[in-house]
Amino acid sequence: MNFDEPVQGHLHWTDGEYVDGRKEVLKTIVILSVVTVVEVGIAIGYEKLANDAGKYKWVINLLMAIFSVIKVIYIMGTFMHLKHEKKGFILTVLLPFLFLVWAIIAFTVEGSSWQYMRTWLNAF
Amino acid sequence: MAAEATLHDDQQNDNELWQGGHSPFRLGYGKVMMWYFLISDTFTFASFLIAYAALRFTQGDMWPKAAEVFSSVPVPSVAKLLEKLGANPEKLPLVFVSFMTFLLIASSYTMVRAVQEGYRMNKWGVVKFLIPTIVCGILFILCQYFEWGHLIHSGMTPTSHSVATKVNNFGQLFFVITGFHGLHVTGGVILNIWLAVSSANGKFDKVGHYEMVEKLGLYWHFVDLVWVYVFLCFYLL
Repeated sequence: MNFDEPVQGHLHWTDGEYVDGRKEVLKTIVILSVVTVVEVGIAIGYEKLANDAGKYKWVINLLMAIFSVIKVIYIMGTFMHLKHEKKGFILTVLLPFLFLVWAIIAFTVEGSSWQYMRTWLNAF
Repeated sequence: MAAEATLHDDQQNDNELWQGGHSPFRLGYGKVMMWYFLISDTFTFASFLIAYAALRFTQGDMWPKAAEVFSSVPVPSVAKLLEKLGANPEKLPLVFVSFMTFLLIASSYTMVRAVQEGYRMNKWGVVKFLIPTIVCGILFILCQYFEWGHLIHSGMTPTSHSVATKVNNFGQLFFVITGFHGLHVTGGVILNIWLAVSSANGKFDKVGHYEMVEKLGLYWHFVDLVWVYVFLCFYLL
């Protein structure tokens, strides 16, 4: 860290930092591409996999969600430089997303409930 | 004093920084505000996608299958080329949209390289990596244009459904969410063009740093980030 420029942050890199940064970014783009290829592969074979797996369809869905989270971690961490920021800032950015955990659970449960009401009403 | 001297370097600097006059996050004001804007924008997209999840759950098994809806390559000239090569352009599920995804991933990579060249104060390096970013962005918008056209011709609009999409909800959600994302891409492309022109004119050499490249880089990565989830919801699951 160069403390001559504390107000603007770290905006000038040394040769060493530049070389390390390039390597890190190259590694990240390879990981992102591989994960995307695997995701698309699973999605194309989704019907067959889901039929073979039967009631374990949720495992495939969970796997897809995990792959997406991996991609987001790499994009935010490396590309958006978040993992090199100060801890307080990382928490400032990430903590608000805890609200979304509630929202996702609440609205998917609500959706299932609407579906139930719809089938129930159709009976009349 | 003795206790203070044993503090970790980083912590000690923290204490100094909190005394005012400096950013406690050791980041420029503009960069922090860009992050806050992106957090709020995340909530906008999240509410769209959560609405998608809720409406999808109300339809149960009626919800269309992605491999059936997005089964063809909608660009006429590319489709002709594929036919010549012996492939059926009507039966290539998810191939076209995977190409769109790779366009965004590739543009994210070139963008982060432009930011790194900015750290080195390398003016033409920044321009060199911004140009492929802009090209990928424009190609992405064109791909979306062809895909929308294809879907609208097949009968899917915000108020109606085609044979493959089965329910009206799918069209509504698809056009609103990918449209809003496309709007972000369009805005990003315009800002990136401005950025490349300003860099080439030496605007940031005069300022003394290339923080603006980093700020717009954050925005561009965010557009890629949102696409990860749009891709997951509409095409993968």
